[in-house]
Amino acid sequence: MTCRDMVVSAVVTGDRNTAHPAAGRVDPLGDPFLRTRFAVPSRPATFLPRRRLTQHLAEGLRTPLTMVNGSAGAGKTLLVADWTANLDRPVAWLTVEAEKQRPGTFWAYFLQALSACGTPLSDRVHCPADPNRVSRKVLSEIAEDLVGRDPAPIVVLDEFDRVSASEVAEQLEFVLQHAGSGLRLILVTRNEPMLSLHRYRAAGTLTEIRDAELALNPEEAAALLELHGLSLPADAVRSLVERTRGWAAGLRLCALAAQESPDPERYLKEFEADHSTVADFLLAEVLRRQPPATQDLLLRVSVLDRFCPDLVNRLTHRTDAALILAELHRDNAFVEQLGQGWYRLHPLFGEILQTHLRVRHPGLEPDLHRSAAQWMRRRGALPEALAHGAAADDWGFTAAAVVDDLAIGQFFTGLRSDDLNELFSRMGPEATGPATELVRAARDLAHSELDRGVAHLHHVEAWLSAETEDPAAAQLSWAFLEAVAARLTGSPARAEQAAETADEVRQDVPPHLLDKHPELSALLLTHLGSTRLWAGRYEDARAALSEAADCPGGILTVLPREESMGHLALIDYLDGWPGRAEHQALAAMTETERFSLPQPAGSGIERLVLAAVAVDRHELGRAQALLDEADELDLDTQDPVKAAGRAIATSRLHLARGNARAAMESVTPALNTAVASPWADSLERLVTSAVHLAEGRSETAAEVLRHLPDDQPTWTVEAARIQLAAGRTRAAIDLLDSVPAESRPGPAVTVRAALVRAQAAQVAGDTETARRFVAQALLLARRERLRRPFLDAGRWIRPLLATAPLRSLAAEWLVPGPVSGNGPGAAGPRPAPIVVQELSERERDVLQRLAQMMSTEEIAVDLYLSVNTVKTHLKSLYRKLAVNRRSEAVHRARDMRLL
Amino acid sequence: MRYEIRIDGHMSDILTEAFPELEHVVMSGQTVLFGSVVDEAQLFGLLARCQSLGLRVVEMRRMPDD
Repeated sequence: MTCRDMVVSAVVTGDRNTAHPAAGRVDPLGDPFLRTRFAVPSRPATFLPRRRLTQHLAEGLRTPLTMVNGSAGAGKTLLVADWTANLDRPVAWLTVEAEKQRPGTFWAYFLQALSACGTPLSDRVHCPADPNRVSRKVLSEIAEDLVGRDPAPIVVLDEFDRVSASEVAEQLEFVLQHAGSGLRLILVTRNEPMLSLHRYRAAGTLTEIRDAELALNPEEAAALLELHGLSLPADAVRSLVERTRGWAAGLRLCALAAQESPDPERYLKEFEADHSTVADFLLAEVLRRQPPATQDLLLRVSVLDRFCPDLVNRLTHRTDAALILAELHRDNAFVEQLGQGWYRLHPLFGEILQTHLRVRHPGLEPDLHRSAAQWMRRRGALPEALAHGAAADDWGFTAAAVVDDLAIGQFFTGLRSDDLNELFSRMGPEATGPATELVRAARDLAHSELDRGVAHLHHVEAWLSAETEDPAAAQLSWAFLEAVAARLTGSPARAEQAAETADEVRQDVPPHLLDKHPELSALLLTHLGSTRLWAGRYEDARAALSEAADCPGGILTVLPREESMGHLALIDYLDGWPGRAEHQALAAMTETERFSLPQPAGSGIERLVLAAVAVDRHELGRAQALLDEADELDLDTQDPVKAAGRAIATSRLHLARGNARAAMESVTPALNTAVASPWADSLERLVTSAVHLAEGRSETAAEVLRHLPDDQPTWTVEAARIQLAAGRTRAAIDLLDSVPAESRPGPAVTVRAALVRAQAAQVAGDTETARRFVAQALLLARRERLRRPFLDAGRWIRPLLATAPLRSLAAEWLVPGPVSGNGPGAAGPRPAPIVVQELSERERDVLQRLAQMMSTEEIAVDLYLSVNTVKTHLKSLYRKLAVNRRSEAVHRARDMRLL
Repeated sequence: MRYEIRIDGHMSDILTEAFPELEHVVMSGQTVLFGSVVDEAQLFGLLARCQSLGLRVVEMRRMPDD
């Protein structure tokens, strides 16, 4: 506990900006160890400032992009560090250290680096929440936020060669291009980055410092040797430069080795004549001359990315690492200081030392990793603990670290989900214990391997009931995974049981862990809500889902929040409120967009809801497009609620197109669930019944509808319509009368009910009543533009709609063509204008992008316009289309075939 | 695929251990690493390893399979 507190307080005093990330942008890294990534390495005492290079870098500020490209040990990092140290403007430094730097993670670090140097971007800019991607929107926001910054922040990306994802280079170019003079980017790299450098060269917007320029010339080499207390004749220096080709690391090692040698000059002569590879030979020399204890220390720390004295003591079983490290940093270039007591090995020497370690102490590496893992875990540095635990092949430890930290939910959400899944993909079957089983279950469930996941959970259950020792975190993890399994198996009893267990054990879990992992509760509530919805317990579902949707914001909970909103949208839709459902679904999509989330496993419900709403409005093309999108993004077909949601949208689309057979195929249940879903079953029966009706078997059609499993008004009213079409007027009206008045269904239900009553009246020859009900239906439907119920009603309605009062109610949104003959005094909605004024070309451009759901900022970036100009275009567009909102503009434009 | 990679300078025994999948021979101021390479990914991995160990690659070529 005390160790942890120490680390935390060190963060607070060390760097205010990192300790208090901008509100709304949760620190995606969440632990202090990564802060060293944003530290500018300090120069050793023997560092040689090189004016010709710093001058070149200073000139480079005139170009948006500077690239320092040289081999390992060419002195790139320290050169740039030295130059930035003397600048009077903000420098964001980011050392790219991860082996696999994914785009989402990269941009999260990028934003964090800007915050860490005191120039955070505004809260408007949202940090990516998915490790694998960043949306254009976020990139546009970043660029937009940088535009016009003066002085422009300088962003140094050190070890950029470690970025393996080619998208990152392209994304950097995008931001660089659109940030204008608001960003100066410096790439420090060992190899050619995948930017279109030729274009920058041609345009003169690139400053390059390459190997040849980085190489030390004889004067510089002499000065460097001088700093090491070696004074050599000019020709000796020249031949040394020749032998090392001016390679900074070579010359530095050379100086160190000579320094330790009894006759430095003779030693250097020998080295000149030697044929060994420079670094290899010299490092061995330098190492050999260190006291054995120091040699041992250097070899052992080579397994670490970064280290501090306490950690080194742990790995070396010493107590005086602080002293040795300070000395090593002062005297030679192996050890670089990152500030606040943290160091790292020079990457080149680190690599070579690791090779030495393997040769000299075979088998020691896993032990070192294990020690490091344990130390990191005690300090609360979970990602590092996991990485070392995995490197040590100690899966029991590594899995326990995840479970004890309550991080099990991160297999499903957040920036680390892919890393975690991949890390544990190396875990073999021999590791046993509750923690490893929990991790296996989490991985399987995250990959929709339901049966295997459930089997692992079963093993854990047996273990947990036997264990007595502090199992709270494990129990909570188990309960959480149970809820996942419950959702995927459509098992409400299991979900409630899981939620109950979670509530019980939650009190025994340290509160700070719960605070650290808001995603666990949010996910659990979402699964609970989803399972309740499946079982047709709408109100209980709404309670859980609303709570999940209201969970504290941030990256970790964005996925469950979006999913809950999608589910809530589905409930609204089932209640017959397409407008509300649409609103809720769009809110869910906005949420994911803001955080650059794709639609990963288990999600995408909101698109299905939007598609169903589009069918109700008879926008069949849009419905199809949304379904296609959902299919494209879909990874998880095992989620019952989602499968049923898809069945609703697809079957209704087929029915609207008159394709009853296809509709029936799309509702055939494929999933094996613990309980049947009343609404999914009702849907299936209704569609089946509709098929029978369409094929002339009205008796069978009516039979299928007896005792619908769900008494929601939505289904009752649809059943009434089919009964009526089958010629059973009495049954239809009885059904309608059975809908309790207090259920307050939405317009999608009430419109259909009114139409059924109208048709019944019409059949009975009471045209006046029929007309009254149709008028009621039109008034209810108009606001929501619910066209489908009228098209479904049948031929009888057409003559009615052609008569005077109804005609004006239906005009424009339902019946094509302008109102004619009624004159301006006619009742009903004001006639929708035909486009009075032609749209300009720019307005059309903006309109097209609106239809692609791009934001104002994105449109601005895309069209190379300022945001204000886009806003002006939008205004005149709205005026010409006679609308007030963008969604209306798109609808209107579609209706008028402008899109 | 068989490849050989020529490195400038004599590599120490320790450093050649960093390439356990390859054989090596030292001659006339150069070290030649040679052996079977599974695919391009491995080849680029070997080159990256050379780079990270500060080795200077002077030549690399594919050898005829025998």
